[in-house]
Formats: sequence, C-alpha cells, structure tokens
Amino acid sequence: MIPGRLLAVIFMAGLLLAAGMQNRYDATVNYFGDRATFVSLPSGKALKTLSFGYSNLAADLLFIWSIQFYSATYLTNRFDFLERVYDTITDITPQYKEPYIIGSLIMVYEARDIPMALRLLDKGSRHNPDEWFFDQDAGYYCFKFLKDYPKAEFYYQRAAAKPGAPAFVKRWKAHLVYLNDDPGAAYRMWLEIYENAGDAMEKAAAFNHLYQIKSEIDTGLLEEKIARFRENFRRWPSSLVELIKARLVSALPSDFSGNDYIYDPEKGTVTAARIFRWKRR
Amino acid sequence: MKMSMKGIAINTFKESARNKMFYLLVFFGILFALSSKLISFLTLGDAMKVLKDTGLAAVNFFCVLIAIFTGINLVYKEIEKKTIFNILSKPVSRDQFIIGKFLGLALTMLTALAAMAGIFFLFVWMSGGGFDLKIILYFFMLFLELLVIVAISLLFSSFTTPILSFIFTVSLYLIGHIMWTFNEFKTVLRVPFWKHFVQGLYYLLPNLDKFNIKNEVVLNTAFNPWTILFSVLYALAYILALLAVTILIFRRREFQ
Repeated sequence: MIPGRLLAVIFMAGLLLAAGMQNRYDATVNYFGDRATFVSLPSGKALKTLSFGYSNLAADLLFIWSIQFYSATYLTNRFDFLERVYDTITDITPQYKEPYIIGSLIMVYEARDIPMALRLLDKGSRHNPDEWFFDQDAGYYCFKFLKDYPKAEFYYQRAAAKPGAPAFVKRWKAHLVYLNDDPGAAYRMWLEIYENAGDAMEKAAAFNHLYQIKSEIDTGLLEEKIARFRENFRRWPSSLVELIKARLVSALPSDFSGNDYIYDPEKGTVTAARIFRWKRR
Repeated sequence: MKMSMKGIAINTFKESARNKMFYLLVFFGILFALSSKLISFLTLGDAMKVLKDTGLAAVNFFCVLIAIFTGINLVYKEIEKKTIFNILSKPVSRDQFIIGKFLGLALTMLTALAAMAGIFFLFVWMSGGGFDLKIILYFFMLFLELLVIVAISLLFSSFTTPILSFIFTVSLYLIGHIMWTFNEFKTVLRVPFWKHFVQGLYYLLPNLDKFNIKNEVVLNTAFNPWTILFSVLYALAYILALLAVTILIFRRREFQ
C-alpha cells in the first residue's frame, strides 16, 4: 500500500509540474494576437439553402455572432472578413435592416474603412428602397470622415427624397449644399425649411443658416464694391453710405435680422454681428 | 363524416395525445419559443425581430418533429400490433381508415400548434410586440405545411418501416424547403431531358417554402393575398393527391 504522505507529495509534485507545463505552454501561444478567424464561411445563398426554411434564424444567429466577434477587441485581425460576413448576412435576408446599420458602424468606427461601409449601405438602400436612413448614414460618413461634400450631398439628396424622411435630413441636405459653395441654392432650401418649419427649434436653426448664408453673400458683395471704391478713390470709404454716393450700390443690404452690417473703415472689412464658422474644414 | 371514420380520427387523436413524446415535444417547443427572449438580448437594434424569428422557428421546428414522429408510426403500429385486423373486420373500409388516421393526426397537430402558438402569441404581446395578427396568419400557414407533412408521413407509413418513413419524410421536408433552387438548377442544365426531369421533380415534390411567411411576419413586409390563396389551394390539392395515393397503396396491401 502506498503511504498517505507519499500520495500527498505526489499530488503536490504533480500539481506543480502541471502548473509549470501550463506556464511553458502559455509562452508558446499568443492568446491575444492574430488567430485564424475563419475556417470558411459559406455564401449567403448557400446558407439560405442549407437553412431549409429557417433562413431568418440563420441570419439572426450569424448577426448575433458577428456582434460578439467584432466586440472581441483583443483579436488584431478580426476585420479580415468583415465585408464578407455582413454580405452573407444581408444576402440571406436582404430586408433585415439592422446588419446594414451595425455592420457599417463597425466598418467605420472599428475597421476605419469608409468605402466598405458605403458599399454595405448602398446595398441596404438598394434592397430597401423606401428607407431613408441608409442614405442618411452614408451621407454622414462621407461628410464626417471623407470630407467629400459632393458625395455627402448626393446621399442626403437621395435620403431627403424618400417617404418618411425626417426634417433633419432635409436640413442636412441644405447644409451640405451650403458647404459645397452653392449659397444661392442653399439659401432657397433653407428659406423653404424656415417657412415650413414644424417647430421653434427647426425655425431657429433655419434662421441661423439663412443669417449666415445671407451675410456671406452680402459681405462678399460689399467687400467687392469697397475694393472698387478704393481703386477709384485710393482710400477706404469712411462709411458704407459712401458706396451709394459713389453709385457703386443702389441700396445697402441688411442682415437676415434686419440689422446693418458692421464696417471697419480702417481695414475696409464688413462683418455681420454673428458669425457661424461652419466652413472650418 | 361517417361514424366509423370519426371514431378512427378520435382514436388516433387520443392515441397520439397519450404519447409521452407528444407532450415532451410540445413542452420543448414552448420552452424554446420562450427562450427566444434570451437570444433577443444578445442582438443590437430590433430585438423584437429576433424574438419573433427565434420563437416562430422553435414552434415550427417542434411542430414538424411532432408531425413526423407521430405520422411515421401510425399505420405501421396498427399493422405491427395486428390491431388492423380488428379495425378492418368491422364495417370500416381501408379508405375510411386512412382518411380517419389523417384527420386524427390533423387534430393532433392542431392541438399541439394551438398550445405552442397561443402561448407564443401572448408572449409576444407581453414582450411589447402588440397583438400581431400576422403571427396568426403565419401559424395558419404553418398548419397547412404540417398537414402536408402529416400526409407525406402517412403515405410512407402505409408501406414501409418507421425508420425508412422517417428518412423519406425528413428528406422530402428538407427538399421541400429548397425547391426554389430547382428553378436555378434548371438554367445550368443543357440537355433537354434533364431540364424536363428537373422540371417534373419541381412539380412532383412538395414545395413547402410556399408556407414559409416568416419574412413577411417579422420584417413586417406586405403580403400578397393571391400568394396566400394559391398556397392554401396548393396545400389542399397536394394533400388530396397524397391521400389518394396512400389509399391506393393501402388497398393493395396484404396483411399476414
């Protein structure tokens, strides 16, 4: 019979040896580095076929898995098949809207791949032509990350034209037209929003934009006339009224609140009382 | 309905309802349908969509299991236990026997489905999904699908063993849900004979995906009333055809 003490020693020695082996094993494995993320992922069509009538459930489960998987931030190569995963989910049920939105969020904020997100949102918009938010999101990403205002304007135009698009989409559209240096068109759009505003907040927002756009147009025009005045008289006008006397303008414009612009006779500059710096890019 | 047929139907229902497996499957169907709430917690966005998807899939899956397991045994058991001699010695024709068995199974499926569907419907309402009447339409379509499956299992049960019946019925169930691939498959075939063969199979085999309106229910997309009507008529016609062939086979069977 083996003595009890010997068994205790064997137990302790075995445990220590196992811990040592575990330690050695850990040294050979990079738990938090690259890992083979996929063995394979069948196409959406194949999964739809293999789900035998439970395709919705298959899409749900793949989507839930993807949320957990892309939240595992310690995996450094988790974005290798990002587009494929969301393409597969959306191929199984193209009308399932959440994967487009969440997938594009992951692509933008985690993988930092805006064109990939735009492709996914375009697909969402194609399969759900009555939904405005795919174009809205795409427009926002173009505006925020690509600084591609014409493209952002294109998406917002498309979103605003869809039924049920909320008022803020139309405001974004008008703002992007303004950012694309088309103040005349932007002014008309904001004026329409101002006149049809549904609440005080919307009216105030439209007012501020109209104020800014009008002041940009007016001050640009006035500064042009002031420059011509200086060419003719070799000095800055002492006040804006001198522009009328010199027949350079027929009347002085006022800002959208009805107040006069502020003129600096020493520098020859015209400014509005309030300035919104929206064009800081 | 003749009394003999009614008697067989009621007896079939009682026999199925006495089966412990029936209760077990109904219990698990309800359990899985209710556990859809847990799965819906894991998603982002519309959790109700996942809840409905998972719950409807659970009810669907367990109802199909009940239909297959009950259907494949019915006629075979009567032959194996020799009780068929008792029944057929009475003024009951073989045709009435098959139709009675089918009606009894249909009643069994209706009971199982009503139990699972009723609880799930209330569960959706309690989870904030409102009284979604589309779910009721979904369960109606599922019932039609179950009737087709029951008719298929009854057909196989009338001439082969339960294991083979199970294999054949499950195969037809799976094929029935991928019938849409037949149309695509046809386009890649070049030999006219095979094209016609695939076309023939397409019309011969049951198209069960017709009854699958989960997408319309959970994504709240529009129904085409004509599609629903044609699906109902398709189910009726297919069941009639299956019962006819089952009766034909059963008439020729000799019992020893």
